[in-house]
This record gives sequence, C-alpha cells and structure tokens, in this order.
Amino acid sequence: MLQEVWKKKGVREAVASYLFMAPTIIVMGIFLIIPIVYAIFLSFNRVRVLGDLSYKWSGLNNFIRIAGDERVWIALQNTAEYVAIVVPIQTVLALILALVLNSQIKGKNWFRIIFFLPTVTSSAVLTLIFMWIYNRNGLLNNFLDFLHLPTYNWLGDPAVALKSIMLMNIWSTAPFFMVIYLAALQDIPISLYEAATIDGASGWEKFFYITLPLLKPVTFFIVAMGVIGTFQLFDQSYIFSGGSGGPNNSTLTVVLLIYQYAFKSLDMGYAAALALMLAGVIMLATLVQRTFFKEN
Amino acid sequence: MKTILYFCVVLLLVAGTIIGCSSRNPDGVTTVTIAGWQSNTNENQLLEQVFKKFEAENPKIKVKHEVINDQYMDVIKTRLIGDAAPDVFYLDAFEAPLLMKYDVLSPLSPDIKANFSLADFEAPLLNAFKYKDQIYGLPKDFSTLALFYNKKAFQEVGLNQPPKTWEELRKYSKKLTIDKNHDGKIEQYGFGITPDLSRQYFMIKAYGGKLVDKNGNCAFDTPEALKGLQLVIEQYRIDKTSAQPSDVGASSGSEMFGQGKAAMVIEGSWAIPFLKDTFPNIDFATAEVPTVNGKKGTMAYTVAYVMNKQTKHKDAAWKLISYLTGKQGMKTWAKEGLALPSRKSVLSELGYNKNRLYAPFVAGAAYGTIWQAGKNLPIIVTQFNNQFISALIGEQPLQSAMKKAEATANREIEAAS
Repeated sequence: MLQEVWKKKGVREAVASYLFMAPTIIVMGIFLIIPIVYAIFLSFNRVRVLGDLSYKWSGLNNFIRIAGDERVWIALQNTAEYVAIVVPIQTVLALILALVLNSQIKGKNWFRIIFFLPTVTSSAVLTLIFMWIYNRNGLLNNFLDFLHLPTYNWLGDPAVALKSIMLMNIWSTAPFFMVIYLAALQDIPISLYEAATIDGASGWEKFFYITLPLLKPVTFFIVAMGVIGTFQLFDQSYIFSGGSGGPNNSTLTVVLLIYQYAFKSLDMGYAAALALMLAGVIMLATLVQRTFFKEN
Repeated sequence: MKTILYFCVVLLLVAGTIIGCSSRNPDGVTTVTIAGWQSNTNENQLLEQVFKKFEAENPKIKVKHEVINDQYMDVIKTRLIGDAAPDVFYLDAFEAPLLMKYDVLSPLSPDIKANFSLADFEAPLLNAFKYKDQIYGLPKDFSTLALFYNKKAFQEVGLNQPPKTWEELRKYSKKLTIDKNHDGKIEQYGFGITPDLSRQYFMIKAYGGKLVDKNGNCAFDTPEALKGLQLVIEQYRIDKTSAQPSDVGASSGSEMFGQGKAAMVIEGSWAIPFLKDTFPNIDFATAEVPTVNGKKGTMAYTVAYVMNKQTKHKDAAWKLISYLTGKQGMKTWAKEGLALPSRKSVLSELGYNKNRLYAPFVAGAAYGTIWQAGKNLPIIVTQFNNQFISALIGEQPLQSAMKKAEATANREIEAAS
C-alpha cells in the first residue's frame, strides 16, 4: 500500500519539496508561528512567570483593561501623532532626494554614499549622538542661539521631546527610502519622457503625469513600510527617556509600553494583549492605505 | 533519497554535539557565577582581588564574575524566568520584596552560624532583606544622601557654613544663584535637584506623610506628604534658584555640581570618588541634609548579595556570600569609598565615621529612610516621577499631579495583583 503511494510521481515530488523546505518551515515555525500562537494564548491569561510558571484563564479581562488604561491612550496618541508627521515628511523628502540624485549632477555617487550613511549606522549610536546634539548646551541650541532663534530643552521639555525624536527619525530613515525611489526612477523608460517632450510637456507636467503615476506602487510600499516602522518605534524613545517614556509620558510609545509591562512589571498576559492590539492597529492602517492606492 | 537521509543524520549529530558541549564539568571544581553592576573600573579591580583571595582559600571553587551594567533588574528577572540566572547576584533593597515574595531566592538563615556575627550588621539594612522571619540577603554596603557644597562658591558670596535647615538652604540658594556674565542666563544655580522618588521620598515623610499604606497601596496624596514636596516645587518655580541636571545639560546631579552649575546638591557617597576622579579641581565639602520641619531626614540605599533558589552549587555559593560579607572580605572591598560597609565593625575600622567627607553619610544611617516600600514600589516610582516632573515644570499644580499619580498607580497595582 505504502509502496503504491510512493510510486506516484506527485507524492514523491511533494515529499521531496517539503523536505527541501523543511529547514525554513522549522525555523519559521519555531521562531514565528509558535511565538504568535503562544502570544495569542497569553493575552487571554493572567500569567505569572517569576518563580513557578502559572496561567489562569481570564477571558477578555486583559482587553477590557486596555480600554480603561490611560497610558495606552497616551501611547496611541503619541504614536499616531508620530506616524502622521514622520511618514509624509520622510516620504516626500526621500522622493526629493532621489530626484536630485537621479539628475545629472556632479559627484552624485558621493552624495549617495553620504546620504545613505545614517541608515547604515546603528540606531542606538545615532540616538546617543543626537542626545549630545540635543543637549541643553549642545550643538543644535548653540546653532539656534547663533542665529538668534529661540532655544529649547529638547530632551527635558514634554512639549518638544517627541518632536526631537521625530526629527532624528526622519533624518535617519529618509535616505533608505530614497534608495528605493532611486532604483524605481531608473526603471522608468526614457522613451516615455522623450515622447512627452515631443508633445511639448513641461518639466512639471512630466513629473506629475509620468514620474509620479509610475512610482505609485513604490510609494505604496514606502508609505506602508514607513507606517509599520513608525508604529513600532521603540529604541529611540527608550534611549531618550531611559526607558520611562517621560518626561510626563510625552515619549511613551505603544511598544515601549509593551516593554514596560512585559519586563518591568512582568505582566506577560497584559503585554501580549497590548501587542495583539498594536498588530490589529497596524493591519488596519495598512488596509486603509491599500484602498487609497488601489483605485485602478 | 539516500542523500536526504544522510543529511538528516548529520544534522542530528551536529545538534547533539552543540547541546552536549555545555554540560561537561572538570573534575571536582565547581564554578560559582556572581553577577552585579559596576560603578567604575577601580571597583571592579578591587572585587577581582577579593575573588582571587577567595579562590586561594577555597581551591575547589572557581568564581565567574559577570558585569551587567544596563537595566540590571530587567536582565536578572528575565534570566530568573529562563532558569539562566547566576548563582549569586546583587539585589537592591528596592526590588527585594518582589523577589522574596515570588520565592526565587534561597533563604540564607539556615546556613548562618553564630560566629558570623549577624548583630554586627546595621539592623535596618538587614531588615530590608527579611521576609517571613527568613533572611534572603546579606547587605554588602549602603549609602545615604548628604549635602555637597562648593566651598569656593560659598566663599565668593560670603558664606562659610553649610545650611542647617531647609529655610537656610533656600536663603543660601538665592545668594548662590548667579548670572556671571549678565547675559540673562544663569551660570550657577544655588541648588541642583533630582526629581525622582528615590531622592524625594524623605521629603514626603518630613511632615508626617506616607508613601504607601499598610496594604502596599500608594498613599502620598495627603496634605502632609505634599507639604514637603511643595518646598521643592516652590524653590524651582518661584525662587528659580534650583535646576534639574537636564536644565543645564548635565546627566546627573553630581556632574552638574562638578561642572560648577550648581553650588549645592544632595547626593550619595558614590559621588565622592566620582568628583575626585572626574573633577579634581573642585573644592567641595559635605554636610548632613538640612533639616526639614525641624527634623533630620535622608535616604538610605542598600544592596545585598542573594542566592538564586535554582542554584546547583548551594554550598559553594554560600561560602562565597559569607566570605564577601564577612569582616575580611568586606574590608578589602569597601576601601574604594563608593558605598559604606554594612558591618559596624568594618565601618569604624576603616575610619569612615571620622573622615570629614564621609562622616555626614555615616550619621545619616541612624535616621535615613530605607529606599524600599513593598513589592509595588516600581509601579509607584514610574507614576510619581512622571507626574512630579510635570508639576515641577508647571504643567499642573502639585496637588492635582499627585492625585493623578496616586490614582493611576493604585489602578495598576489592583490590576496587577
């Protein structure tokens, strides 16, 4: 019986191909699928991890707690504000940089390397450097002072603390997206521009009627990745605030909150519920974007 | 098909060797892992010396020293959960109630013999590591807070004595707050403050306020507790004679003091070696924290060696702890002066109580508030710090800030219990 099944070519091929995929399936299973399933399970439990591990089914309690938790709303608000400001600016900036580098300016290879540097630097190092720049007597304030502009307590004032992180994030991620735009720009056939030139189109018209529409799929990718990346903001605000999300919760983000509950209060159940909520929010945001970009 | 089979066998073999490697043990020698943080390299060298001596006296035990410098408690807790924690580790009194309650520490009382002279330890320090009549940790050292003042800055404005009371402190601060080059920006503030509950707890107690009630719930939203804190806020907002480190671009109170941006700060004894190393030119002296409401008050911090309940080398671990907290071991290590030895005999033998810089810290041990308040303290600290800063920078009055902090903390405590 087994022999007969084995003889069928389809079965043999299927077995062989699954065996080839086995390493990936095993790795994905252990590091991706099982943790996801486990996190969903955790979010419906009261978990005690320190000492003797214990689970107690608590139904939707963790999710009800989210609705009443003031800090969750602050974190969501901060994160939403962050997304709303950072994503558009970094996308437009990336496009402008890409357009500049795509034109025939001198030494553009050098510019590419210089622009790309912040992206290859570790974000922890960048954050530490920026903390020096943002220091009360740091580079930025000295510069503003020199121009007779008002100076700020960039790290200590709740009103500007989040903005300083935004500024840094835009500066460090825009070049990465610039490279993607640059690759897409070079894919646009020159013949299209030539045809438009013959038809008498101006530079702006070429940009709005050829470049932008052809870049649309890439723009969707960049905006989606930008939104996901900014929703998951953690390291910068963690280092800036020393893990507290202060001053006065102004740099608290959802992921930082998850970290605090999971590793400071060891409340894994609630932390898992928060993580699930964040996943839901990101999924929703991506779906909304898809409908925006998908008219035709 | 055969090739795939071979491949699987090889894979299994490789996996087997990797797992097998970790469980090998050289004959008769046990390795005890000890983890802690490190304040400076000198401290580390002294500690290594103590370990060398210990290994010489106990040839069957090897000590493996791990330094965890950032987010120490997060790392330790996570490793405790993953059964990968060191055998012996430092534990701050602040986090002790939680770990003792969750039964992850090994009680040390059964091993303590009479000749270990437990009575030699400062009683409040030892009590911080007691739970249900068992001792879970032996204090390695302690520190209190005292007033640091810049002698030169004092002379320049004609002061020759440190302030004795909080009223004096505020009066002196006004004299010491100076705009040296008249550009409208203050170069030297009178007083540097650290708006953190771990430093302000004694201000809550000054007028009879409490941090937690007997159930471990947050209880600092009372007129008595606010009265002490209000003094700090008033000086910052109305007198404008105090500053936070971040206001002047420093990362800590001692750095701010060392840079001459504050003429007085309240700091721990760890600041003495730091100032001497980093700012050798500054001429400073110390005094006891000025009295508030006519009463002396300060904070006391202590750290103990504790034993992981999961340890496989209980005897060796105990030998190490008893050596480190014994008279001899403590004496070698406490010379650095970052913190004061927790044994009274060592404290007086090393002459800390007669040293002019250290005497105010030793005196503080008698009336200091131990930085500990039940297992919910970490939650309370987060809420307090967030709201206290908000009140300090004038976003809301202190009363409403503290009301909010207390309500949020208690809600979290209830949800977590």
